[in-house]
Amino acid sequence: MREYKIVVLGSGGVGKSALTVQFVQGIFVEKYDPTIEDSYRKQVEVDGQQCMLEILDTAGTEQFTAMRDLYMKNGQGFVLVYSITAQSTFNDLQDLREQILRVKDKDDVPMVLVGNKCDLEAERVVGKQQGSNLANHFNCAFMETSAKAKVNVNDVFYDLVRQINKKSPKEDKKPQKKPIKCIFM
Amino acid sequence: MFQQPTWRLWGEERVDGAIYTVYLKKVRYHRPTRSASSESDDEISHLEWETVRVRFVKAGTVERLVEALATDDGELESTYVNVFLATYRSFAECSRVLDLLVRRYEALAAEDTLPAHAPAAPGADHSHQHRKTLVACLHVWLDTYPEDFRQPPHHPALQQLLAFTQLHLPGSELHLKVLQKLAVFSAERNGGAHVGGGVCLAPGMRLSAHHTSTYRLPHVPHRHFAEQLTRMDMELFKKLVPHQCLGAIWSRRDKDRSHDAATVLATVNQFNAVSFRVISTILVEPNLRPADRAEILAAWFDIARELRVLKNFSSLKAIISGLQSNAVYRLRKTWALLPKEKSELFEELARIFSEDNNRWAQRELLMREGTAKFADTVGENDRQLQKLLHERGSPGVSHGTIPYLGTFLTDLTMIDTAIPDTVADGLINFDKRRKEFEVLAQIKLLQGAANAYHLPSDAMFDRWFDSVIILDDREAYQLSCQIEPPTNPPKERRPRKIVDNNNQCHRKNDSIASTSSSNSSQFYCETDGAANAWKRDSLERRTSPTRLSHGSSSSSLPSLDVSLSSANSGQKPPNGKAPATSPAYANTRNGPDFYIIRVTYESDCVETEGVVLYKSIMLSNNEHTPQVIRNAMLKLNLDGDPDAYTLAQVLPDREMVLPANANVYYAVNTAYNLNFILRPRKSQQAEPVANGKPKNKRN
Ligand SMILES: Nc1nc2c(ncn2[C@@H]2O[C@H](COP(=O)(O)OP(=O)(O)O)[C@@H](O)[C@H]2O)c(=O)[nH]1
Ligand SMILES: [Mg+2]
Repeated sequence: MREYKIVVLGSGGVGKSALTVQFVQGIFVEKYDPTIEDSYRKQVEVDGQQCMLEILDTAGTEQFTAMRDLYMKNGQGFVLVYSITAQSTFNDLQDLREQILRVKDKDDVPMVLVGNKCDLEAERVVGKQQGSNLANHFNCAFMETSAKAKVNVNDVFYDLVRQINKKSPKEDKKPQKKPIKCIFM
Repeated sequence: MFQQPTWRLWGEERVDGAIYTVYLKKVRYHRPTRSASSESDDEISHLEWETVRVRFVKAGTVERLVEALATDDGELESTYVNVFLATYRSFAECSRVLDLLVRRYEALAAEDTLPAHAPAAPGADHSHQHRKTLVACLHVWLDTYPEDFRQPPHHPALQQLLAFTQLHLPGSELHLKVLQKLAVFSAERNGGAHVGGGVCLAPGMRLSAHHTSTYRLPHVPHRHFAEQLTRMDMELFKKLVPHQCLGAIWSRRDKDRSHDAATVLATVNQFNAVSFRVISTILVEPNLRPADRAEILAAWFDIARELRVLKNFSSLKAIISGLQSNAVYRLRKTWALLPKEKSELFEELARIFSEDNNRWAQRELLMREGTAKFADTVGENDRQLQKLLHERGSPGVSHGTIPYLGTFLTDLTMIDTAIPDTVADGLINFDKRRKEFEVLAQIKLLQGAANAYHLPSDAMFDRWFDSVIILDDREAYQLSCQIEPPTNPPKERRPRKIVDNNNQCHRKNDSIASTSSSNSSQFYCETDGAANAWKRDSLERRTSPTRLSHGSSSSSLPSLDVSLSSANSGQKPPNGKAPATSPAYANTRNGPDFYIIRVTYESDCVETEGVVLYKSIMLSNNEHTPQVIRNAMLKLNLDGDPDAYTLAQVLPDREMVLPANANVYYAVNTAYNLNFILRPRKSQQAEPVANGKPKNKRN
């Protein structure tokens, strides 16, 4: 089974962990417990193929920058998350993307731009059009999601898997590891 | 080289509403030198040392924290007072703290006048000292953080303080100080217009002069530009209120921080404004000849170089960021036209801000040059900068320093993220505040250094600055594509990536370790291993109770240079050999103050859904097994009794189960990755712990 290393990035509080946990475990985390670095694993079927996703949930953009290069080097696909209720979280993504491109030394890296908390329409400050403009500029996919209301959550990760497949088709990984259970080196 | 630690952790002490960390400290008594003394060795040898017990508030309720401003015997706890006043805003309002202080004073005063306590009563003296200490705290507070008392329009806190002094301390220095502050504030309020009155002409002047703007890149005086940028930065940096940088205030992004962090925001905005100007001046005329555009690029390099000499790391970084922005960075043909030494210069400057090794280069520079007079430190490989500094030759000008604030903001955010605000029972985690204070003190120190700049202002420069058209990202990118259409697939990004000599050295908690360890020694020159500065200070207080003078919190800090020698001695420069690589990371001589560990939860039930591979938590000094297990459970959303779980470090050939009450920080094996397994205790039998045997299957 092919493995996909996915990294979730964005400012603190935008819902990176909530999205990840919603996707991996199907629950919504209400409390805000700032992340240092958490890692998840989930097996899914995308377009008839079994895939093993390894998802790295990270601290906010302004935090733990020392770790960031390392995530970026190892990651194959990136979820860039902002909250539609906070303009600054949107603005932060430009730098983040540039850092990814620099670290990966490529101009085109599998990536999805995600405007989260779309259930909070009343508090919206980042327009949908703004999001899709930025995605155009980034030349990547765009979705508005809600980790709370389970909107578009799976689609984010599936889309990323497809992008990775397209970019580097069938690069079969080493012998498969036992599913589930923790693995240390 | 092993030195006997003079401080020994003795344990924790809990009282109602507070937790203390208790240390045993060997105190040395000064003995006369042998030659000067005729006494025999025997007579003095047993007088040399005494062990005293010292305790520090680790956590507590607000009430307890306020009480701790004075020690048990009523003395002023100087470091503690500084830490408290610098950070209290993250756990209490000004009015609440003031209220508690005043009430404490009144309680002590009442105690004193109680008839039962005759003048000879033992408590009286102590109470008197105690009250003196509280008044001293109020002085420090008013002097150091007058903004706390502004609260327009009615200045309620100041009014409360006035009522208090009128009642208890009429005519005292404090009373006069309060009156004076009130007068200043209300003058500002009523006559605010007067202050700005003289400037009324300015806007008009600016308008009429607008067309005469004569600066035009690339033909501008580089040095002058650098000085003017530095002047702008300096004004903002001096106004910066350090505690607005605290993670709790600055980085809570979803909240509106325009007010609470206004001075931080102002420096960030200036930083961005400079970057924008770089981008804009390079792109705004798409039809320029490539050679001309390259000249503009080169002009910015030269300005950046001058900023380096001026030790203005904020605008320097802003320019580098602008040059590295996608829209500018991708103009390969333009970059290719730059002469070799210019490209070298750029790389040398950019290297200062490389993210390698947690921005080691930049921290190192700040440490070395933070308060040093001359910019004479460059890497061995920095040919262009060396040449420049050589040319500039004779020192004679002394400058201040302006740091790139982002480094500090990152550290503070990280501290805020990693360390909980409260510990068990909801007590305020004061150790966190001590850690934050170390960073704040460093900012304050640099602010002091910024005073050394003496730069005249040039209105024409300001006009130029304001007149530059700002491009948004899209416009910039479009212009950039117009100048050099995208080629696909774009092969190599220009300029060449900064050489990464140190790649596998990103350790998890670099920054925490380097900030906390580097700062801890900055207050005092002597360093004795494990002890932190504040511990030392508190002890010194015992011998010389008058260490702190009012309002001295920033001015009494000695130079940052002192801290360099001890703090970074364990690290190697990025262009040197890589430091010893133990995966668990320990890069300073004293070791970091905490580690980040990864905890995996292993239970018997097989999960069919996705799984958590690991979650990372902070492991700080003095955390014992139950506490670490509790932290891990919280992170992993597990309920129940910590005693029902075991925690084991995963080593290559086995697992090491932590004993039931170990100080985990010292128990872990830092030669390996800090990966841990949390699992339910197999059966509820007593003590199946600490067998250290390899457990079942593991890959
Ligand atoms: N209403 C709403 N709240 C959300 C959503 N996603 C996350 N949150 C909340 O936002 C806060 C921060 O979420 P978290 O996932 O921890 O953010 P992170 O710092 O990016 O990992 C938490 O209190 C979440 O409950 C969402 O889609 N809608
Ligand atoms: Mg998170």
